[in-house]
Amino acid sequence: MKMKSLLITLSSLIAASLFAADVPPVGSAAPDFSLKDTKGQTHSLGQYKGKYVVLEWFNPECPFVKKHYGSDNMQKLQKEAADKGVVWLTIDSSAEGKEGYLDADAANKIMTQWKTKQTALLLDPDGAAGKAYGAKNTPHMVIINPDGKIVYEGAIDSKASPNPADIPNSTNYVKVGLEEAMAGKAVSNPQTKPYGCSVKYKSM
Amino acid sequence: MYQGRELVKAELLADTNAVVPGKPFTVGVLLRMQPHWHTYWKFSGDAGLPSEIKWELPPGWKAGEIQWPIPKKLLDPGDIQTYGYEDEVMLMQEITPPASLGDAPVKISAQASWLVCERLCIPGSANLSLTLARSTTSSPANAELFARWRKTLPQKPPNDLAVHTTRGPHELSIALKSPAIPKNASAAFYPLPDEKTVAGHPKTEWKKDELIIIVPFETNPPEELRGLVVFDNGTGWYIGSASAQIATPVSHAAVTRGLWTFLLFGFIGGFILNLMPCVLPVISLKIFGFIKHAGQDRQSIVRNGVAFVLGIFVWFVGLALLLIGLKSAGHQITWAAQFTNPYFVLLLSVIVLVFALDLFGVFEIVLPQALMHRMLHSGAREGEAGSFFQGVFATALATPCTAPFLGPALGFAFTQSPLIIMSIFLAIAAGMSAPYLALSIHPAWLRFLPKPGSWMDHVKQFMGFLLLATLLFLLYVLGAERGYEAMTWASCFLLVIALACWMKGRFITLMASRLTKSFVFLLMLALVIGGAFYFIGDKFRSAKIDIVQASGDWQMFTPDRLQTELDQDHAVFVDFTAAWCITCKFNEKSVLESASVRDAFTRHGVTKIKADWTNGDPAITKLLQQFGRPGVPLYVLYPGKSGEPFVFPELLTKNLVLEKLETITRSTIASQ
Repeated sequence: MKMKSLLITLSSLIAASLFAADVPPVGSAAPDFSLKDTKGQTHSLGQYKGKYVVLEWFNPECPFVKKHYGSDNMQKLQKEAADKGVVWLTIDSSAEGKEGYLDADAANKIMTQWKTKQTALLLDPDGAAGKAYGAKNTPHMVIINPDGKIVYEGAIDSKASPNPADIPNSTNYVKVGLEEAMAGKAVSNPQTKPYGCSVKYKSM
Repeated sequence: MYQGRELVKAELLADTNAVVPGKPFTVGVLLRMQPHWHTYWKFSGDAGLPSEIKWELPPGWKAGEIQWPIPKKLLDPGDIQTYGYEDEVMLMQEITPPASLGDAPVKISAQASWLVCERLCIPGSANLSLTLARSTTSSPANAELFARWRKTLPQKPPNDLAVHTTRGPHELSIALKSPAIPKNASAAFYPLPDEKTVAGHPKTEWKKDELIIIVPFETNPPEELRGLVVFDNGTGWYIGSASAQIATPVSHAAVTRGLWTFLLFGFIGGFILNLMPCVLPVISLKIFGFIKHAGQDRQSIVRNGVAFVLGIFVWFVGLALLLIGLKSAGHQITWAAQFTNPYFVLLLSVIVLVFALDLFGVFEIVLPQALMHRMLHSGAREGEAGSFFQGVFATALATPCTAPFLGPALGFAFTQSPLIIMSIFLAIAAGMSAPYLALSIHPAWLRFLPKPGSWMDHVKQFMGFLLLATLLFLLYVLGAERGYEAMTWASCFLLVIALACWMKGRFITLMASRLTKSFVFLLMLALVIGGAFYFIGDKFRSAKIDIVQASGDWQMFTPDRLQTELDQDHAVFVDFTAAWCITCKFNEKSVLESASVRDAFTRHGVTKIKADWTNGDPAITKLLQQFGRPGVPLYVLYPGKSGEPFVFPELLTKNLVLEKLETITRSTIASQ
């Protein structure tokens, strides 16, 4: 009996630690990355220490992403963040040959067409940054505080649907999370279940 | 439409060719996807969205929940795991038409919406409708299709499936044990987490004869988790992991015992209820009744006995119905839970006082109907109605005495279907009423009882004092629940009741004039209602609660405290008790607080925690249920972080406690 409990505990611990390697929990240090943007410039998380950073996983073909860009919801949020001095990094982790993969030109075209307002759109065709954050959805949102700690990760808002009509009736977790964190308060919903399309990573 | 292809063809079908008023039938939304495209299960997993069906039904029609076929686990690069259906799926729902319908054919419509994905995801929807003839008879339609899809639904889990959950800081571990699980069968678990929790990917493994499911969580693990266990032969069971507040395995041997054993325990437990200190006064009242009837004819004795027994049954059937109702409404309900409600205790106090005053001869309880009967027939009807209510009353008092046999039987009943709950309560009622039924059917045995005489009045008055003693106990419970101030106000109200009883006995007599009667009756009513409003509605309700809960070297129970102690690998003894539980008080005085046991606790360094259930603390209720117990008393010794907790029997003995303390501390040392 004793042995059994011990085994359960041990295996749970192993499972938990495996999982912990998967997704950095809220409150832990945000994994650093170094990615090129659509203009060929390299961005790393380290260079933004001292500032709030928002990460947004992106796929222009995903209906859930289109929901927030087609309704101008995402652009508004990006603009608000920029006005507060927040760095907004949009990341495309789609692998080459998969849905949503963008080269620099195609990405620039979409940014112009959609009038996006982020600091930069980073290309992550290897999926290294996406996997470091355990990003599985587009959109998947992360807020990082000036100390480089994750203060929010999860969905963009509270209504899991591809329907833009649901936006006015939902709580935007990123907007609320940024406001709370920047006011020095604890984020009331630090982790939610993200919704959307799967990130189209490179096949193994 | 996507690149010129219709990705999903949706169709609405029924398993009947016509609608019969009031007769439920099943409809299915059949989604046919393009090859390799998939739609999602009710929990979609890491990505995706569940399909939805919104009904537009004529008024009076009802649609049941979607019956989801067992989905497939779909894997994508980047450790993305989703649950869904490829190629096709039929989502069935039961539709219930109202009992009356016009003659015209009926049209029902629904909007189905889904997210269909291959490498890409496309949301889609369709407005579907179906017209069915209205008829008095119907024959099956689409039989093969419905039969095929019904086979893909999860099955009912086996009755002997034991589920127990261990909650760690980042995961839940659910152990399943049943002879029905093929040994070492490979199995998967599809979780159904609520919106607040983010579940990871469950893993399963075999440990001896148990199938262990480990569900990691990114958020704090929930207290409960439902999900679907799927075996490689295509069967699946929905399981709900019971609340798992504290990470210690619990033995569920009690649950696997047979129904007949529990019915027998119920019967024996019911019989033992007669001997409980909280019922004894009323029972002696009844015995006294038998003595009084000993001189009467046999028929009247049987009638009285049957009426008393009926009272017992009515109480238990009522309790069973209440329980079934509450259970289906999703409340947590436990035995003697009514005693955690101060207003119930107050009501019981009033009844006990009124009966006591009746015994003292302050007034006589005459039921209005019985009064009429007496005037018309001058028969023994009054006695029967009285017997009936005595039966109800005796059982109401008996409930908090969870006799040793009754505990497991009820623990079992609370997890069962309404039918089984009802049979167990009937078994208890039968057990409790057995001696009276025997006495009234074989009145020959009554001959052994003494002949009636003037001594009866003295005995009757003496019984009144026993009831007053019961009243003191009830007031003590009220004090423990609401503080001494509330107890004082309750006593004031009881005084008003006593006054009203006296007025009834003194002035509302057969001889009194109609005018006097009406006047006194109105005055009584005013007193009682006024008293209730002032003392209970105002003073009692707002009295401040000043309860001192932990006493001496006992710590007050909180789930965190227990967990903290266990995390530090301390041995912990938990005393689940309540102010109104006489067995608990007896055990505490004679065993737990005795010098030798106190010394042993100190010597072995055991932390003592008191879980006071007087007011029905839900955290304690949960833990009680985890141990399969419907109420207090319960005594548990945790040996520390690892190792199974030891559950003591409900009647403690010093020797047993001392012995267990020895063995447990020894094994803790040995394992270090």
